[in-house]
Amino acid sequence: MAQEFDVEFIEREDRKARFLVRGLTPALANGFRRAMIADVPTFSIDTVRFTENSSVMFDEMIALRLGLVPLTTPLDDFEIGDAVTVALDVEGPATAYSGDIETSDALVVPADENVPIIELKEGQRLEFEADAVLDRGKEHAKHQGGVSVGFRHLQAVEVVDDVGEFDDQEPQILRGVIETPDGEVVLTDEFDNDLTNRYPGKELDVTDVPGAYVFHVETDGSLSVDELVLRAAEELGSRADELHDAVTV
Amino acid sequence: MELRVIEKTETELRIEIAGEDHTFMNVLKGELLEAEAVSAATYDVNPEQSGGQTDPVLSITTEDGTDPLDALADAATAVRETTDSFADAFEAAV
Repeated sequence: MAQEFDVEFIEREDRKARFLVRGLTPALANGFRRAMIADVPTFSIDTVRFTENSSVMFDEMIALRLGLVPLTTPLDDFEIGDAVTVALDVEGPATAYSGDIETSDALVVPADENVPIIELKEGQRLEFEADAVLDRGKEHAKHQGGVSVGFRHLQAVEVVDDVGEFDDQEPQILRGVIETPDGEVVLTDEFDNDLTNRYPGKELDVTDVPGAYVFHVETDGSLSVDELVLRAAEELGSRADELHDAVTV
Repeated sequence: MELRVIEKTETELRIEIAGEDHTFMNVLKGELLEAEAVSAATYDVNPEQSGGQTDPVLSITTEDGTDPLDALADAATAVRETTDSFADAFEAAV
C-alpha cells in the first residue's frame, strides 16, 4: 500500500530549495524534517592539537569556532566515526580564514573559503592540527547538515466573491506558497505576501490543502539539498529495515 | 536497534525500542495506525515521568487475531516502502 508522492520544485539552488510534496502525512513530513536536521551526518572538526596559539583567544574558543566551519561531506566514501586530519598555519598580521585550512583528503574541504576564524596581529601565530569527524546532528549541532529545514501546508486560495463596492479591503498577509484557483503554485513573495495585491477587490477563502506540504530546505554547504533530502529518507528507511529484521528473527 | 518486550499477549504488545526518538517512532506509529488490523498504537518516550527511562516504549493493540509482532513487522516494511517511494518521487522531480 505504498503511497504515491508527487514532488514539485518551486525554488532550486545548490544549497537552498523549496519544494512541494503531495501525499504526505504530518508524521512523515515531520520525520523527514527531523531526519534532515539531526540524522544526516556531516564532517566537523572535533579534536584540535595546537602547536602554537599566540592569538588573543584561548585554544578552546578557537576550537569552538573551528567546529562550526562546514566541511564538504561525500557520504558515499565515509562512515560515521571516520576522521580526516586537517591543519592550519597562519602568521599575523593576517586573518585566518576557513580557506586556509588544509586537509589530508581532497574530498573533505571547507565548504566556504571565507569564514573568518581569527584576526592575527603582528607577531601572532596560529598553528594546529585537528581531526574532522563524521557524526550526526543529534550528537552535536556542529554536525547538522540542514541549517534551516521546515515545512508548511500548501494553501489553496479560492475567489469567493467581489468585495462590496464601499467596503475597505484589509491586507491579507500570507507566507509560504499558495495554489491558485487554476492550480498554479505561486510563492507568496511574488505578490509581496499580500493576497490583495494579486486579487484586488475580491473576497477570498484560504484553506490548507490536506497532505500537501511545502518544504524549505537550506544546507550549510556540507551537502547539497538533494543529497540531504535523499539521505534523510534513506535514514528513516534503514531504521525501518533494522526494526523489521529485529522483529522477524 | 535493541528491542525489549515488556508485555505480550495475543492482541497486545508493549516493547521498548532502544536508541530511537520521535523522528522514527512517530513515523512508525503513523504507519501502524494505517493498518486495518491495528486498533490502537502509541508510543511514550518518558513513561509516567519515569525519571530515567528515555527509550521509547511502543504499545500496539490488534484485532482480528493478528499477532502484534506481525503488525509491527508489516509497519516497518510499510515505512521502508514509503520512504523509498518518496525518494523515487523526489529524484523524479530533480
